[in-house]
Amino acid sequence: MRDESHKEQIERWARFVKNNPHNWRIRLKPFLDSQMIIAWRFYEKLLKTEGGGEKFKKIRNLPAFALNKKLL
Amino acid sequence: MKREIEDRTILEKFAIDFCNIINKYVIYVVCSGFVAITHGRTRGTEDVDMIIEKISKKRFEELHNALKNGGFECIQSDNPEVLFQYLDKRTSLRYVRSEQNFFPPEMEIKFPKDELDEQQLKTRKKLPLTGLDIYFSSIEDNIAFKEEFLKNEKDLEDARHLRIIYEGQIDEDKINRIKEKIKKLR
Repeated sequence: MRDESHKEQIERWARFVKNNPHNWRIRLKPFLDSQMIIAWRFYEKLLKTEGGGEKFKKIRNLPAFALNKKLL
Repeated sequence: MKREIEDRTILEKFAIDFCNIINKYVIYVVCSGFVAITHGRTRGTEDVDMIIEKISKKRFEELHNALKNGGFECIQSDNPEVLFQYLDKRTSLRYVRSEQNFFPPEMEIKFPKDELDEQQLKTRKKLPLTGLDIYFSSIEDNIAFKEEFLKNEKDLEDARHLRIIYEGQIDEDKINRIKEKIKKLR
């Protein structure tokens, strides 16, 4: 369970978004994109390791169809 | 305007490209986490959830082929007949960009499973604050589902965020009506 300060931060940020409809995007984009980019970078590295393909398939919950496809 | 387009996130570009194709074939609505994220919630997600109207197998085949030609592939199968059975059995289909080796993000599409999903399709709307030309389920639907059905910390925080963004514009009676339906149907 998160404490009250976390709740306050959510509220502070939501109010910032509400009051700065043109500014919040530019602040948030690097943060949101970085999560995707870090995941991609990690998966690429994982796929190059021994057994990495199998781990990737489990992590991404890939079904049989995808399991038969060659990765990287 | 130019800056706005360049400001699009990877997830937004993915959703826009997908919706541009799907919009030509079917009535759709984007719901759940992506709605909060496009309103500035500082959290990530790997998938975008979408409900599409129930369509015939033939229509689905056309849609699937258009997605394929548009650079998307389905994780579960490449056979539209098999995929239509999934949809018919209320299993979501997972589409990713075909050049991306099954990496996220992914679009999860499903047929409506009950009156609540049908209602989200009927009351879909574009939300100007997102700056996206995409149909979303209403803010009231999103808040009701997050507060009454999903209820975990992340979703309750999403609901809180949306409540602040749309303060003074939210139809509380509508939220309560949806919550009552959720209690009955889910």
